[in-house]
Amino acid sequence: MKTTRSTAPAPTAQDEYTVDVFTVVNGAPVQWRVDTRTTLLEALRDSSGLTGTKRGCDQGACGACTVHVDGARVVSCLMLAAQVDGRQVTTVEGLIDEEGRLHPLQEAFVRHDAFQCGFCTPGQLMSAVCLLREGRAGSDAEIREYMSGNLCRCGAYDNIVAAVREAAGGGA
Amino acid sequence: MRAFVYDRPDAVDEAVASVAADPQAAFLAGGTTQLDLMKDGVWTPDRLVDISRLPLRGILVESQQLKVGALTTMEQLAAEPVVAQRLTFVREALLAGATVQLRNMATIGGNLLQRTRCRYFRDPTVAACNRRSPDSGCAAVDGVARMHAVLGVDERCIALHASDVAVPLLAVEASVLVSGPSGQRRIPLSEFWVRADEGPSIENVLGHGDLITEIDVPLLPQGWRSGYLKVRDRASYEFALTSAAVAVQMDGDMIADIRIGLGGVGSVPWRAREAEEMLRGTHVDPVRFEQAGRATMASAFTVPGTAFKVDLAVRTLSRQLITMTEATR
Amino acid sequence: MTATKPDLGTWVGKGIDRVDGPHKVTGTAPYASDVTLPGMVHAVVVTSTVGAGTITKIDTSALLTLPGVRAVFTHENFPRLNPSPDVLFGEAPTAPLQDGRITFHGQEVALVVADTSQEATEAARLIEITYAAEAPLLDPAAGQPEPLPLSPDTSRGDTEAGWAAADVRIGATYRTPENTNNPLGLMGCVAAWDGDHLEIHDTTQGTIALRKTLAAMFGVPESGVRVRVPYLGGGFGAGLNQWPYKLLAAGAARELGRPVKLMLTRPQMFRLVGHRPDTEQQVRLGATRDGTLTMIEHRATVLSSIDFLAVGLITSGTGHLYACPNVATVERTVRLNRRYPTSMRAPGEAEGNWAIETAMDELAYELGMDPLELRLRNLATDLDPASGKPWSSNGVIECCRVGAELFGWSRRDPRPSSMREGDLLLGWGMAAAGFFAYLPMSQARVTVYADGTAAVRSAATDIGTGTYTVITQLAADLLGLHPQQVDCRLGDSDMPASAQSGGSGLASSLSNAVIDAVSHLQGELLTLAGADSPLHGLGPDDVVCRDGALCRRDDPSVRVPIADLLAGQGLVEMSGDGRLRPPDAAAAGMVHAGAYGARFVEVAIDPMIGRLRVRRVVSVTDGGRILNRKLARSQILGATVGGIGQALFEDTLTDPGTGRVANGTFGDYLVAVSADVPDVEVVFVGEPDRYTPSGTKGIGEIGLVGVAAAIGNAVHHATGRRMRDLPITVDQLMM
Ligand SMILES: Cc1cc2nc3c(=O)[nH]c(=O)nc-3n(C[C@H](O)[C@H](O)[C@H](O)COP(=O)(O)OP(=O)(O)OC[C@H]3O[C@@H](n4cnc5c(N)ncnc54)[C@H](O)[C@@H]3O)c2cc1C
Ligand code: SF4
Ligand code: FES
Ligand code: FES
Repeated sequence: MKTTRSTAPAPTAQDEYTVDVFTVVNGAPVQWRVDTRTTLLEALRDSSGLTGTKRGCDQGACGACTVHVDGARVVSCLMLAAQVDGRQVTTVEGLIDEEGRLHPLQEAFVRHDAFQCGFCTPGQLMSAVCLLREGRAGSDAEIREYMSGNLCRCGAYDNIVAAVREAAGGGA
Repeated sequence: MRAFVYDRPDAVDEAVASVAADPQAAFLAGGTTQLDLMKDGVWTPDRLVDISRLPLRGILVESQQLKVGALTTMEQLAAEPVVAQRLTFVREALLAGATVQLRNMATIGGNLLQRTRCRYFRDPTVAACNRRSPDSGCAAVDGVARMHAVLGVDERCIALHASDVAVPLLAVEASVLVSGPSGQRRIPLSEFWVRADEGPSIENVLGHGDLITEIDVPLLPQGWRSGYLKVRDRASYEFALTSAAVAVQMDGDMIADIRIGLGGVGSVPWRAREAEEMLRGTHVDPVRFEQAGRATMASAFTVPGTAFKVDLAVRTLSRQLITMTEATR
Repeated sequence: MTATKPDLGTWVGKGIDRVDGPHKVTGTAPYASDVTLPGMVHAVVVTSTVGAGTITKIDTSALLTLPGVRAVFTHENFPRLNPSPDVLFGEAPTAPLQDGRITFHGQEVALVVADTSQEATEAARLIEITYAAEAPLLDPAAGQPEPLPLSPDTSRGDTEAGWAAADVRIGATYRTPENTNNPLGLMGCVAAWDGDHLEIHDTTQGTIALRKTLAAMFGVPESGVRVRVPYLGGGFGAGLNQWPYKLLAAGAARELGRPVKLMLTRPQMFRLVGHRPDTEQQVRLGATRDGTLTMIEHRATVLSSIDFLAVGLITSGTGHLYACPNVATVERTVRLNRRYPTSMRAPGEAEGNWAIETAMDELAYELGMDPLELRLRNLATDLDPASGKPWSSNGVIECCRVGAELFGWSRRDPRPSSMREGDLLLGWGMAAAGFFAYLPMSQARVTVYADGTAAVRSAATDIGTGTYTVITQLAADLLGLHPQQVDCRLGDSDMPASAQSGGSGLASSLSNAVIDAVSHLQGELLTLAGADSPLHGLGPDDVVCRDGALCRRDDPSVRVPIADLLAGQGLVEMSGDGRLRPPDAAAAGMVHAGAYGARFVEVAIDPMIGRLRVRRVVSVTDGGRILNRKLARSQILGATVGGIGQALFEDTLTDPGTGRVANGTFGDYLVAVSADVPDVEVVFVGEPDRYTPSGTKGIGEIGLVGVAAAIGNAVHHATGRRMRDLPITVDQLMM
């Protein structure tokens, strides 16, 4: 995880309970003027219309809302939008490349049927992308342990492991 | 969440001043406890002072100890090579806690200050909770208790301190550096938390506006081994039912020196000093391990849902003692 | 019933990728929670903090002055609703906010509507409600047992005579706790009125049942109510009922003249959308020395809420799995001040199977017989033992044999604690499983276009089971097209009516409706073939569609492009409507069989610290014709994960004094995570079922049945301890 710049400009508030957030989401600069209590999840979904990131609990316990902040996976329901001021956010909408091609993990998820209802899927993918980067796909047991922060109530775990294993082998 | 003013000062003293000046203010680090409680309506500060960008992140490795910035995340500390080598049980406890996502957010300072997971505490519609509202009673004692404590508790409150990493940090005699409205001070972890049976509504010795800036963690001397065993229902991603952090220095098949912390059992992270004393200078003997565990758990206060923890904690400790002393036998 | 067997086989059965996969992996599949409408406001449900009683005073004045708050609805001002109509599986619990009566802790007592959900949530905390609280009735022993409409008592032969004739007898009590469905998608809806027309984006598993309920309760024509669910974040039964939140949102939207969005919170998911209710079951089994069952007695009590009954079905499979002459089943429910029960994946069977298949294992040990051998000796594969008529198919023995072979069951040392690996105790357990046949009505419309493409439309939902995909494959085969040329649209009550996705009935029901629709489509196309056409005079089943042409079935080289047929009449498309045409079971002389299975499990237990890990699962299923191997496997995998959760973790706890849910969050209520699940070996056996043209059986639920019992039996094998109460936890396993 990158260290953050402590010199980032403090948000300039409209009124006491409003905050301006300048951030970069999926590579594009974004500005939110939001209620201070707005979570990153809410800002993404409601202010930016990026509804790919899902809410499964709003209590940090299911992983459906997983996104990347400065390249590290986090649960966006337990983070304030104000906390990503000056940082880089990546959501599932940012996984496809400029030509709209799927990320190798997205393709592997489809091929291995690594989802059923699909509700946990954006969070699983965001977690899995980091898992590969973290170098934690060395064995199935390792994949399972480090993917355990993403609940799948449909129970697609075996197929998720297979998809991640394949993507890891493919050097993704 | 109730509306609040968001404040993000650039310096430690500003942050301290900002909270100290407002009785309704609170610090925000990783937010994984703080925002959770605010959403539940358990804690409704009017002002959140975001300390997450203060320059308190990072690890300084010295010859005898680590100086860990309070805002270092759990994942960052776990990734530090010296931790893997010289504080194995700290690394294992970190990686056994929560999930990668949460560990990327959660700070070490915040982890020590996490609030109990007691569901009655976290539901403000439950009236009886001495920890949340003094002298209101305790719903858990007559309610559903499983993830609750058996040591350092009584019928007024059986709240568990659920941190994993705090257990080995306590065992290794870490201390925190605090900047407060009245200056700096150092507090050993052994004096940091307040047991529920000493007052259910006070959790630690910090005053309002006190900011943890650093955690100083002595390295285990060369030749020590350590490990953390966490017993839980699920294979991953669950708080401990019981856990044992053990560090030993062996001399042949004799335990030359030892440190033991227990998790999942105490209203505060639990140092098992009696057990350490019973085992220091003795030969490896599973029967004695069990006796040491029993001695530690002798003062347990249980309710029907937590009674199993006494036996489980003894077994968890015994197993971890066997594992830690085995390779050198 | 369609006369001719359809030609299936080019696409049907193939493990093609899920057709909606790209939408799901890119986050573009729209779920109800993703819907935003202009002018939309947000509603939050306020729930009761007592378990029984009445509201004496409700003060909302402080809320209405808060920023953003638009309205607060209570029983004093919420519109009166008509009574709930009867809809199968989907009866509504009592209408919300009609009076101040409280029947369970966490019941809906008010609705706060504000511009943002945060404003509504915070305002909701400030509502002041005074209750005349009563002591909630929570003890089943203190309640009044009553029968369940869907689970009548059954009896054949003479169980007491069978008991007397037995050489070996066992009898024990088994318990299963409340489990909460907890689909990952929070349930909720967006409701919007336009005059008397209501459109609701919801998380129901059945659009048509909800349409009927909303129309009747709001007194508007069914034609004007539209329910949309293109995607759903899982259901597992929680989406089968017409829960009050839907009525609250629709009522508020009508009163306010604005779209209202109402999403439940995770804690509310434990209270307001049902659960698998607790059961207590007594089983008695008797057998002769050679292991032939002489009697089965199965008594179950299941818990209900005060106003809304459990589905039951705990004992209904018991008389059908084993060929035993003397069987009695008795099922009762008790109404308590508990939250609404509902169906949860494999309702009834999951609970009943736990008791029966554990009891069978106990009997095997009493007999000194291999548990597999005891099953094989008694399973009823040819005739349904209850009616004496032949099954339309039954592969349960094959499931057991194939599973045993793959698992290596013959290497099992039957003595408890005999198999070890270092400090670990290994246990091998198995269970047989059945799931009832259920064939509800569905309709579908198949349309062909001049450009050669086709569409299937139905109001059915795809809750993750793969309906979009398997229907696409089926239509591709029936129309002689590539799946990419078929567009399948579901989840909209304006499309042809369909059954809910529930009871494992949809795939069968809908696929047969599609077969029928294609037949009708062919008939319609034939009406376009003039006297000079080579197809003139043929009947709908004498032709088939192939590659955009209508062909003679017996000589496909005789073909007329559909585009030409359409153009001749100035048409651009042609549709055929179809519906399930259930065969006359009596005439067919057979009993409609459900799916069957056998589960084999290895557990490893660390007896010192009570740690249990499921190491291996072999899951064999007779699912009739498999429409898509890949997706079918996923259904069994997912159900296995659910079964592991049922066995080891899931347990919704209730506060003894108040009836409050004590562990209603994902942090406190444990479901299986990836690390809990081993690689599961999934195998399908059996043949296309003879009951319907499609030959399919439901496979969404059978995969869960038997998993818990196989695990429990494996625990006994590992430890010698008999597990009769779920879940099986560390404290029961320390040795
Ligand atoms: C679903 C879930 C599962 C979890 N599982 C585990 C687990 O298995 N094991 C485990 O150990 N933990 C677990 N946790 C707890 C988690 O580790 C803590 O919430 C986290 O460590 C808190 O750190 P934070 O930085 O997020 O703190 P915050 O939430 O930001 O702060 C916590 C409290 O400390 C105060 N505070 C924070 N930093 C300072 C400081 N430097 N000085 C003074 N006050 C400060 C804040 O005001 C607040 O009151 C879990 C949490 C969740 C949500
Ligand atoms: S155990 Fe402590 S925190 Fe929990 S309800 Fe009782 S007093 Fe409150
Ligand atoms: S919604 Fe954020 S973890 Fe569940
Ligand atoms: S695919 Fe439904 S929750 Fe994972």
